[in-house]
Amino acid sequence: MNTFRRLMGRVLGQSLLALAIVVALWFGAGLTDRGTVQLLSFLMLNILLAQSINLLTGIAGQISLGHAGFFAVGAYVAGVLTKTHGVAVPLAMVIAIAASALIGWLLAIPAGRVREIYLAMMTTGFGLLCFEIAKEWSVTGGVVGLSGIASPTLRSLQVFGWMVDTVDLFRVMLVATAIVLVLMRNFVQSHHGRSFFAVQASEIAAGSIGIARGQVKRRAYAISGAMAGLAGALYAHLVGYLGPDSFTITRSVEVLVMAIVGGMGTIIGPILGAALFTWLPERLQIFAEYQFMVYGLILMLIFLVMRRGIAGAITEPTRFIAPRAMKRRPDDAGKPVTLQAESNAPQNRPALLEVHDLGRNFAGLVALDGVSLALRPGQITALIGPNGSGKSTLVNVVSGIYDPSRGRIVLGGDDIGGEADHAIARRGLIRTFQDPRLVPCFTVRENILLGGQRHFRSSMLAAALHFPSTLREEIAMVRRAEYVMELAGLGAVADQPIESLPYGYRRLVEVGRAIMADPVVVLLDEPAAGLSEAELGRLAAMIRYLRDAGKAVLLIEHHMDFVNDIVDDVVVLDSGREIYRGHMQGMRANPAVRAAYLGVSQDCHA
Amino acid sequence: MIFAAQLVFAGICVGAVYALIALGLNLTFWATRTMNFAQGSLMMLCAVIAVGVLSGGFNIYLGLFAGLALTGIIAAATEAIAIRPIAHLTGSMGWVVTTLGVGIFLQGFVSKFFGSQALAFPSFLFSARDYVSVFGIRLSAQYMIILAIAVLLVLLFELFLKRTAWGRALQAVAADQDLAAVMGIPVRVVVTLSFIASGVLAGVAGVLVAQITGTVDAAFGFNLLISGFVAAVIGGMGSTWGALLGGIFLGIMEKLVGGYISTAAEQGIAFALLMVMLAVRPEGLLGEKEFVKV
Repeated sequence: MNTFRRLMGRVLGQSLLALAIVVALWFGAGLTDRGTVQLLSFLMLNILLAQSINLLTGIAGQISLGHAGFFAVGAYVAGVLTKTHGVAVPLAMVIAIAASALIGWLLAIPAGRVREIYLAMMTTGFGLLCFEIAKEWSVTGGVVGLSGIASPTLRSLQVFGWMVDTVDLFRVMLVATAIVLVLMRNFVQSHHGRSFFAVQASEIAAGSIGIARGQVKRRAYAISGAMAGLAGALYAHLVGYLGPDSFTITRSVEVLVMAIVGGMGTIIGPILGAALFTWLPERLQIFAEYQFMVYGLILMLIFLVMRRGIAGAITEPTRFIAPRAMKRRPDDAGKPVTLQAESNAPQNRPALLEVHDLGRNFAGLVALDGVSLALRPGQITALIGPNGSGKSTLVNVVSGIYDPSRGRIVLGGDDIGGEADHAIARRGLIRTFQDPRLVPCFTVRENILLGGQRHFRSSMLAAALHFPSTLREEIAMVRRAEYVMELAGLGAVADQPIESLPYGYRRLVEVGRAIMADPVVVLLDEPAAGLSEAELGRLAAMIRYLRDAGKAVLLIEHHMDFVNDIVDDVVVLDSGREIYRGHMQGMRANPAVRAAYLGVSQDCHA
Repeated sequence: MIFAAQLVFAGICVGAVYALIALGLNLTFWATRTMNFAQGSLMMLCAVIAVGVLSGGFNIYLGLFAGLALTGIIAAATEAIAIRPIAHLTGSMGWVVTTLGVGIFLQGFVSKFFGSQALAFPSFLFSARDYVSVFGIRLSAQYMIILAIAVLLVLLFELFLKRTAWGRALQAVAADQDLAAVMGIPVRVVVTLSFIASGVLAGVAGVLVAQITGTVDAAFGFNLLISGFVAAVIGGMGSTWGALLGGIFLGIMEKLVGGYISTAAEQGIAFALLMVMLAVRPEGLLGEKEFVKV
């Protein structure tokens, strides 16, 4: 089965095969009957719609139950502009795409703030609202709808004086769909596509490596809206009539079913799903009759029966690194990053991160109560303390997940207190989590590569069009990831999805991701927890690498032997306050520290 | 003035039904941190079954009983089939999609076997023409009884929650399912009972709305589901009094906009309020802000 899937993956991934299919459809359409051409045209629409929801829901993780809304915006804008206002078809189409992209972008502003059920309800509401507007507004023709839109069936579709017939329109749709698919594949296999996935997996983790979640969501909604809008505009000219009944929740469900059954989060999946559900109702009478019930059953049972859809069952999952960046000659293997040697002793260097009198309350509970710290380049500082002493809160406040209640946080001379987490990460302060937060379906390599997010410069357009500069950037980053994996001893599992690997690997990958970010300051929250002896060794090597590269490292850890071996300095917290600062040896003997850990009162201590 | 008062009154009555829907959503939200997207279809199903039983020559109350029993059972089955087995899947994609599937299936079932045309729903609580006059304002008797039933149910529910052992068990499960299990609370039973209760509440709400509108069709539930959800969000997710407050507020707003601006705009009010609420005060009027634990 695995061999079969790998084979299928290789066959379906061939661009030549895709090209051959497009060419065959182009010429085939001229030879076959009109009914088939019409069906193929609907297939193109369904592919566009399924990919649109795939980008938003399958890749960026924002569930959409109102996709018919975007479809309706595109269709009605194109229909109304050409029919009522006499705008030229191509211009109207561009405006329609822009309008639905804008609607998506606007919807993302409130929708970006919420998740799960709120988002599901909100998108359902959006779909219903679009339907109601189409039904009630005079501009859209109300319940009667909008008829007589220029279309091949009415022999009225003219573009630049050229009469477009059914076959021509199908060819236009074919080319448009093919272009969208290529752009989408390029986009998904770039750092932009990876940032979408990172937001889906964990918004907190995405923020911690410098991904602005709000921006990612606005982009996802806008692009998804544009794709559905394109489908809508094409639909308007394909059928020549728009009525509100084409844009009910049934349509939204249909689009969702196609994408889920085909396989969300892949490129090939939604194409297969669209093909299946375009063909089934046409060719299978019984299916058409029970269509709605069948959709219901499919949604009910799909996760139990076929969690990854058809694509997951028959082929390998899509990968998220540009394949051309992976194809390189063995001689230009990753070179180690040259390290800046510091002449000063670590203690005398200016601090990279300074925390002054930091406090944080949670509704009356004081979690941090006036902590001060200075992290210097090339120095490893341990932060220890009993459970609930405020260690993780300190990391969360410094990395921007919580706002400080009082005090100052200064990174490289700038006060960063209250800045958004992704902005702080972009400045070079990178943290890891107590429970590793990676993208489960990504391979080790892809996860490590995510750390480089803050260094990528290519625009979305450059990524979608595969500019040479984008490729160069990707190649450079892939090489750096290679080097990090070597350092972490992860080379052997580089291409395995992280969800298939044991826990220890996840920790190492997360620390590797932090190294990949080439940070200024690193905050490691219990990186050694649950690691085997061998893995501890690798972790120590990675942390020492960071130190030698002149990074300031803060290490929260309970594993005392591990801490003892590598740290320069230790700070002990208890109940949100500093109770000790200095060497490890001094700490073991310190009465306050012993009291905090063992609960003996200071007087009893001999 | 009288027109405005009548609109407000109608809004309060409709809003009380929204509160019932919101209560049904709250129940499953407490028990499992999920919400049943089939709730809208359950409302529709209960009313359709009542009509079906009636047209079969039986008593309407027998029909209502059958409808409520069935919605309760289906809600519990939804939890067993569509929520529990996929609880381990990460993300919200899982149960939102599966419970939506249940709802779509029920909708498809009804439109296949009862037709997609609207069915007339009989008046069994007074007739649509009966009214009581208060200070010259005509208050429909039907609306008043609906308001009374809805408010009574909300009150009973709050009493149940605060005063009975089962109510406290539900609160414990809502706070922390694992901890509740460790303390010996039969979590499974509590969850199943909550789903049954939420199904029955949906059924009652469906019948009450059908009583007002006079008809019911297969697509009847989705808009109501959104209204109920918006009521819950306005009041604060999980708050009983908040649900009542939010429902009535939404109901009044809808009627006022429908009366003074246009009935078409009435449809958009719930959505607009949802947007404003999530932007301004996502925890709702009576809800408490939760800290996200990292």
